Amino acid sequence: MSEQVSRRDFLKLAGLGAATTAVLTGCGPASRYVTREPYQQMPEYNSVGQSTYYATTCRECAAACGLVVRTYQGRAIKVEGNANHPLNLGKTCARGQATLHGLYNPDRVTDPIKKSRGDSAGEIVDWNAAIQAVADALKNNQPDEIAFLLGTSSDHLFDLVTDLANSTGINAPIRFGAMSMFESRATLSKAAENLFGQTGLPWFDVGNADVVFSFGANFLETWLSPLSYTRGFAQMRKATETKLRGRFVQFEARMSATGGKADEWVSLRPGTEALVALAIGRLVAEIRGGSVPRIFSSVEPADAAEQAGVKLEALEHLAEMFANSKAVAIPGGPALGQSNGLAVAEAVLALNALVNNFGKSGGVYLSALAPNQTEYNRPASSQEMQALVEKMKSGAIKVLFVHGVNPVFEIPNSLGFKDALSNVGQVISFATFPDETALEADYVLPDHHGLEGWGYQRVTTGTDLPVLSGAQPVVTPYYNTRSTADVLIAAAQLAGGSFASALPFADEVEFLEKKVSALMSESNGSFSALDSTAFMATFQQFGGWWKNVDSKVTPNAGSVLNKNVKAEVAEFAGEGEFFFVPFMSPTLGEAGANKPWLQELPDPTTTVMWTTWVEINPETAHELHLENDEVVRVISEAGEIEVPVYLYPAIRPDTIAIPFGQGHTAYGRYAENRGANPADLLGKHFNEAGDLAFAGMKVRIEKTGKTKPVSRLESRMGVYGEELGEEH
Amino acid sequence: MTTLSDLKISEVKLEGEHVGKWGMVIDQDICTGCQACVAACSMENNIPFVGEEDSGYGRAMHWIRIERFWEGEYPEVKMTNQQPMMCQQCGSAPCEPVCPAFATVHSQAEQLNLQVYNRCVGTRYCANNCPYQVRTFNWRDYQRPEPLPNQFNPDVTVRRRGVMEKCTFCIQRIHKAQDKAKSEGREVADGEFTTACAQACPSNAITFGRIDKEDTLVYQMMHHGQSHGKKHLEELGTLPSITYMNGGGA
Amino acid sequence: MAYGKKETENKPAVYEHHGHTEEHFREKHLMLDPLPRGQMNDMVMEAMTEKPSWKYWLTVFVLASIVAYCLVYSWIRLIAEGVGIAGVNRPSYWGIFLVNTVFWIGISHAGTFISAILRVFKAEFRRPFTRVAELMTTFGLVQAGFSIFMHMGRVWLAYWLMPYPNQRMLWPNFHSPLSWDLLAITTYLLSSTMYLFLPLIPDLAMARDKTTGWRKNFYRILALGFRGTEGEWTHLRNAMNIFAFAIIPVMFSVHTIVSWDFAAATRPGWNSTIFGPYFVIGALHSGMGAAVVVLAAVRKFVKNMDYFIRAEHFDAIGKLMLIISMGWAYFFFNDYMVQWYGGDKWTKQLLHFHEAGPLGWMWFAMLIVNIAIPWAILWNSKWRSTPWLVSTVGILINVGMWFERYIIIPISLTINRMPFTWRMYTPGIEIPLGIGTLTLFILLYVIFAKLIPMIPVWEVQEGQMAHQLKKFGRETVVTVSELE
Repeated sequence: MSEQVSRRDFLKLAGLGAATTAVLTGCGPASRYVTREPYQQMPEYNSVGQSTYYATTCRECAAACGLVVRTYQGRAIKVEGNANHPLNLGKTCARGQATLHGLYNPDRVTDPIKKSRGDSAGEIVDWNAAIQAVADALKNNQPDEIAFLLGTSSDHLFDLVTDLANSTGINAPIRFGAMSMFESRATLSKAAENLFGQTGLPWFDVGNADVVFSFGANFLETWLSPLSYTRGFAQMRKATETKLRGRFVQFEARMSATGGKADEWVSLRPGTEALVALAIGRLVAEIRGGSVPRIFSSVEPADAAEQAGVKLEALEHLAEMFANSKAVAIPGGPALGQSNGLAVAEAVLALNALVNNFGKSGGVYLSALAPNQTEYNRPASSQEMQALVEKMKSGAIKVLFVHGVNPVFEIPNSLGFKDALSNVGQVISFATFPDETALEADYVLPDHHGLEGWGYQRVTTGTDLPVLSGAQPVVTPYYNTRSTADVLIAAAQLAGGSFASALPFADEVEFLEKKVSALMSESNGSFSALDSTAFMATFQQFGGWWKNVDSKVTPNAGSVLNKNVKAEVAEFAGEGEFFFVPFMSPTLGEAGANKPWLQELPDPTTTVMWTTWVEINPETAHELHLENDEVVRVISEAGEIEVPVYLYPAIRPDTIAIPFGQGHTAYGRYAENRGANPADLLGKHFNEAGDLAFAGMKVRIEKTGKTKPVSRLESRMGVYGEELGEEH
Repeated sequence: MTTLSDLKISEVKLEGEHVGKWGMVIDQDICTGCQACVAACSMENNIPFVGEEDSGYGRAMHWIRIERFWEGEYPEVKMTNQQPMMCQQCGSAPCEPVCPAFATVHSQAEQLNLQVYNRCVGTRYCANNCPYQVRTFNWRDYQRPEPLPNQFNPDVTVRRRGVMEKCTFCIQRIHKAQDKAKSEGREVADGEFTTACAQACPSNAITFGRIDKEDTLVYQMMHHGQSHGKKHLEELGTLPSITYMNGGGA
Repeated sequence: MAYGKKETENKPAVYEHHGHTEEHFREKHLMLDPLPRGQMNDMVMEAMTEKPSWKYWLTVFVLASIVAYCLVYSWIRLIAEGVGIAGVNRPSYWGIFLVNTVFWIGISHAGTFISAILRVFKAEFRRPFTRVAELMTTFGLVQAGFSIFMHMGRVWLAYWLMPYPNQRMLWPNFHSPLSWDLLAITTYLLSSTMYLFLPLIPDLAMARDKTTGWRKNFYRILALGFRGTEGEWTHLRNAMNIFAFAIIPVMFSVHTIVSWDFAAATRPGWNSTIFGPYFVIGALHSGMGAAVVVLAAVRKFVKNMDYFIRAEHFDAIGKLMLIISMGWAYFFFNDYMVQWYGGDKWTKQLLHFHEAGPLGWMWFAMLIVNIAIPWAILWNSKWRSTPWLVSTVGILINVGMWFERYIIIPISLTINRMPFTWRMYTPGIEIPLGIGTLTLFILLYVIFAKLIPMIPVWEVQEGQMAHQLKKFGRETVVTVSELE
């Protein structure tokens, strides 16, 4: 009872009043969860008929949007956006909404399991034995034989493992996710570094621009921080009394959901993005007068137009548009995931230098660093991931801990992660769901679902303010799961020595308190408190802490225009008549396939549900005698997959595209044996920044003679006029 | 003679006692088709998922769907502006008169089309007669395996097979806000609450509120916006409550 | 024909005129070819009470098995699993269940039409087949009722559509055409059953007098103590006259109201003011077609019936079918023109879809079997008098009319004002259930052929009493005396 009393006292202290956000405080490990109680013993703020709302942070991607979760009698009912959170201002995306289908997914890992590899079931062990196994793994191996592979969310766990690594000498944790691979984050920040001499993740102020040029960036879907970019897009598009409706031009070979919103969609030949950007730069420079800067001088617009398969007049018209307004150019997505991706990123960033929008409203910034961050820390590039795989292959890694990522599925086959696993002595997975990597693990020690766990996440881009977004459990853990941070802390204590001294905490919450209360001394915070307990509690109540200071960094534009960018067409790997564009499914993301409502959401461009498809231009399909729903084999140098055809009117005739997100062989009933994984087609080719050249493949297609009806929301009759009969 | 009003039962909303006419403005120009509204609606309203086969056969139960068409042919192809389509809460709804069981009726208090799940016998006449095709039918008892039902919203009925359903403008939220305002002796303020779709919409393309009061945002957008709003299939005389804007300005 | 032949041989006098002998008239006209009343009664009783052969039982068993699987089992599945196992979807919320409902109501039309209209107009050729036709009304309406109940999502609550006093003071919605439908069909079912029963009474009384055992009890109860007194006959004739007149407007209203289910809706292709008469004529079209098929079957399979049902009857019905076919063609054209001329873009799209869509063949097939074939065949009195040919035309017309309803319901529902939702309809469990209703319809005839006289034998006798061949000078003329 004492815990409940102290909670109530705290409630009074916090003075909630009419605020809907309720509070959880930390006061002893056992009391850190809301307990599911019968009616008679409900805590007063959980009274019958009243909902309780908890602020937390979304973990469906790395963006760190603030959530407020409505709970009712100990159950999480509805996810809503945290209106106070500077990143998403109360909005959520579809994946955030469906996070409850992860929490209450029927296929979660319910208990810690010791198993043999390849088996989905195993022997249930108790948590003490599981922690002992982790401690043994830490203790019985040389520190440099131990590696951690983490996902892109749960920064607090990354910090905890980093602390552990720093003081014990184990390998620094590597963070990876298919999402960051398709975002080409490494390329973007590398380009910024090359041009500005500063580290950081560029942030494009779409909202205040009048003209937006996007080279492949799918910023309305999954790219970097889709909610804040969408908000910016809406602001740009809306005419007000003082401004006209902004215009948006998208350059890409396959119309993405983002491209679908473009006022002008420029379908250029894949690999020519750098040329086109430089050509536009040159034309813009000519329009604005003066000499053509060095960076653009090497390209001939007429050549570039021909290479790209667009008309020179079109480029001139675009240059006109760009030169005469408050414009911003964004590089991203498949444009960067090519052999010359870095050159593309630099060329597009240089366009901004031309209109001199660095550090200006409607221009380019470097994102504000999060409060407890000293420099931008991006997830691993595919090449860095490859380095880990090589180490695993050579047997240098004896123990691999995996958390928050499903590398067997997310890393393309050609990188050989799955094979390398067999050379790793022990694989310990902290997976919440029985994914492909958990299948290949020796231990599965399930972490709580994101809504059941503590933590924080740094907002890396998308807002002016430095934000540390806080997460707290909104419900009691449903299964016999345990927080990975708690497991590691307990195991470190058991392992003793430098491990014990590296993590001198009673539990995860104490660790968080230490990290978070370090911010108490900062000025201009969104709140302040007298002691660390109160600070921590308020941190949870508001769903984070942010500094009310615009901390975006103005890039150093000085020498950008005098740099050199190689004006060349990207190289493509493999033989085949088609350029291949794999793209992140806007609704599923990298890990949404096990959530039934995400499966049933129609894809924004094709309205397909529940499966994978390959997009082919109707003209091309006509030439190849391909029909909708016909299954084709797509073959690249790295592998082949079978997918049904979708005749997509907005894709180049020489290009095909397949969404990433399906094709699981494990991961629960809603994901298993559904669709195909286009990552199987990706070869081991990197760009100069170390990102995978995922859009740099050429593929060919073969008929299989099979058909598979693709579930679509749209009507093929009504939208494409199929089966309506010839007009007469 | 005692009439209903003499009884002074506060729960009984009398005919003519308008508590508000609710409506929406949807800006198609900034709708990105991201499906957040669809997901939010499904979570808020306990909508079942129907699986691959049924969803491909026109049985998906989304209460809101985002329509998009194509204009032109490659390379001059253009995706038309997304059109989120849900129950238009018609002032003169074609679905209402055709239901033989009075399962779909007009609410005098909220000026909405109500679907009374308990009363529905499943003739599906209303769905045929809905020009917007926004009614969805529970073709089966769609299974939600344990523990998924933990997520159910207790304010919204879970429907069984054989029952028609549709967007309610999140009437549970309307009532909650009204009850709260009433207990505090005030009127519901504009923007005090909103529907699940509008709440989630990342681009703020959906605005919800009273369209019978001049000081609401929705009213302002409908009547003074630079963009020219249009009501869908208005020519049928359905008096829809949702205004669509398709960009605009200069 | 055992009795018939013997008797005709005994006929002595032979008049000749213009190549027509009296014999010729007798062969042609049942009314001029009387047998002794007792003999005719025995013929009917024999057909009914003769111990059925193994073939009969095999037929019953096969039909009953089909009904058990297709109707009972499939319906139980439908109720237990939901209408999801049928083919309905968005936008075709209505499918074959309603096609069948309209179809069966159409079939049931002809029964009362033949019986009531022809009785009112004193068409003498009606006499031997009114019973068969009236049974079609009742049996058809049973199938229609089944089909509409199959259609409902929660059929166990179907009673909510009835206006009955209840605690919540809830009434059905009288704005809804479906409510009118329910009332109209119920009225029609009750009145047509009464109308079937009234002329049955004298036959049941006859059967009572000629049977023993359980049959005697059965007929005694049903015959309501009819003894054949003058007063009873007068009352019966009065009642039948009242019903015959009263049921005609009911009959027209029922199918008009069925058409309002569609015409009162806001959908393109449905919202057509001509739908009322168009549906009535369509119902008559399929109903006459079905009646002639049933008649041919009864003549073929029920003993002694070839005496009562003759080529003259097929000839007469064939003429009716031809005229109705012309009427249907007129209303079809009218409906098409009015919709086309309306110029609504969705309606135009729909009309185009009817012909050129994936099921366009159905539209053309409908026109061929509903118009071209009847017109080509039924012109000829010789062909008209050939039972197998006329009943083949009858079957084809029914197929065509079923197509017509299929085109009006699921095909027209495919096209609406929201092109994003257009989708084809593929039937599922509707098919076994549809077969089930058809089989049950046949099974009911098979069973009732053994329970009630298939021929209103008293009406035939009454007619024969009134008909005479008379010679005026050199002319032989058929005369009918007024009986009533």
